Amino acid sequence: MNRAVDPRELKVHRDDGVAKGDVLLEVKDVSLRFGGVKAITKISFDVRKGEIRAIIGPNGAGKTSMLNVINGFYTPQEGTITFRGVERRAMRTTDAARQGIARTFQNIALFKGMTTLDNIMTGRITLQKSNLFAQAVWRGPALREELEHRHRVEEIIDFLEIQHIRKVPVGRLPYGLQKRVELGRALAAEPALLLLDEPMAGMNLEEKEDMSRFILDVNSQFGTTIALIEHDMGVVMDISDRVVVLDYGRKIGDGSPEEVSKNQDVIDAYLGVPHE
Amino acid sequence: MSPGFLYFLETVLNGLMTGVMYSLVALGFVLIFKASGIFNFAQGVMALFAALTLVGLQTGQVPFSHLINAIFGTEFHHFGWTLPAFVAVVGTLVVMVAFAYLFEKLVLKHLVNQEPIILFMATIGLAYFLEGFGDLMWGADIKALDIGIPSGGSFWLEDVTREWATEGSDYFGMYIDKLDVVAALVAVALVLVLTLFSQYTATGRALRAVADDHQAAMSVGISLRNIWVIVWSIAGFVALVAGIMWGAKSGVQFSLSLIALKALPVLILGGFTSIPGAIVGGLIIGVGEKLAELYVGPFVGGAIENWFAYVVALVFLLFRPQGLFGEKIIERV
Repeated sequence: MNRAVDPRELKVHRDDGVAKGDVLLEVKDVSLRFGGVKAITKISFDVRKGEIRAIIGPNGAGKTSMLNVINGFYTPQEGTITFRGVERRAMRTTDAARQGIARTFQNIALFKGMTTLDNIMTGRITLQKSNLFAQAVWRGPALREELEHRHRVEEIIDFLEIQHIRKVPVGRLPYGLQKRVELGRALAAEPALLLLDEPMAGMNLEEKEDMSRFILDVNSQFGTTIALIEHDMGVVMDISDRVVVLDYGRKIGDGSPEEVSKNQDVIDAYLGVPHE
Repeated sequence: MSPGFLYFLETVLNGLMTGVMYSLVALGFVLIFKASGIFNFAQGVMALFAALTLVGLQTGQVPFSHLINAIFGTEFHHFGWTLPAFVAVVGTLVVMVAFAYLFEKLVLKHLVNQEPIILFMATIGLAYFLEGFGDLMWGADIKALDIGIPSGGSFWLEDVTREWATEGSDYFGMYIDKLDVVAALVAVALVLVLTLFSQYTATGRALRAVADDHQAAMSVGISLRNIWVIVWSIAGFVALVAGIMWGAKSGVQFSLSLIALKALPVLILGGFTSIPGAIVGGLIIGVGEKLAELYVGPFVGGAIENWFAYVVALVFLLFRPQGLFGEKIIERV
């Protein structure tokens, strides 16, 4: 079943009521502490609809903590987050998912015992109309809905070129393919904001090129807004529209890739400051 | 056939049937453990409570009658009706789902992200609460449970097997309780339904997802709390089935809750996370203890059946702590 899909026909993006170029997500003065350890200190930045926004910084800069704040795993002690015009501080992860925030993880959090197909199907849970209880008792309407979801998931599988592993339990897949399945699961939710935590970590050059292409396609052809964390500077400079730089939990730079790469604080953070 | 071989066959068959009964109880443990990592100490008491409720509804007992009578000085005991078995079973199911909902609302919800040992303590608390609550609601007397399941030995089987024995031997035919046969069929059906449910429904997929990785499940928008309610409801349903079978076999009384103790070696053998493991583990324990009783029992004065399962479990713990079907334990240093 190797049919080519024109991604423009594929609706992998929910209507979020925000015009292209406007602010989709605004993080304002957010601070996060674990006991006495400050993970994030007074960070503000925004993500505009339709862009690829990179979050970079050395190890321990607070990048992943920032993503965890955005999708509701952590509740910051200070500051606010405004998503699609709604301000919030504390939020349950499931609610963030329902509002259209999907994500992948640095260390891949797939359901290892389940097949590729089943994994991507779980991504559509927030789009299911009949609730879990109703489905458990009465299958009729649920079955029709299930077929629709299945259809869309097959399209995503075609788009990511992973037809050949549809029925393979993901635990048996090589690392690069697992990363791709995880991206598929996030795409299946038709997210308004897609968070990618080091989508290319641990990949070889070829896999990195594939992944870059998928990310660019998702962004340009579906119009999905993406915020990503990445260590590979070459990739970041190539694919992102704007970059925010964190160091020791503080923001030290924000702007286009060119601006950021000329910023002295950023250069110091990455290369170290010479001691006189 | 020699009578010796027929005795062996009879023992194995009876062992398998008993094993199925153990599996029924173990199944409830596995469901909850798989989905939430909680060892539910209250599973046995849930079976007892389900059986009590079923008998109470069926015979038209007034719930909390002792309490009501003590406070108001009245003499209510029975509504004066009896419900058909099917209606009573459905009614009990509703009670078990309501119980799952309340347990999540009142207890589990407040213990999210706690250590497994804390949740385990909560289920111990639940076990004692439910035991007392069941007594208060339906009374502490021993009740007979009869929903029309055939029981007793089969004369047909006895006649047929007597023919098999060697001419002139004193073999009187095989005794197999019809109730055990029904229980075996019910267990098979139950496992089939649970498997189909978890493999081919969106709800089942969500359950498997939660069992696999909590954090990832939350990130795709699965509400853990809804899943808990569903899992505990299913465990309540399994407890009801186990309660019906054991209740019909040996009456509904406190000792019914102790069947949970026999489920422990079954779980150690089969693995805490495997449904097929619970079935196979139950069968091995069932057959093992009956055979041991028959062949080893006479040398040590009998009554092996009571402890044999635990010895098997101990030996297993030494050589394969994850059980036959459990996930392999790999430790990274």
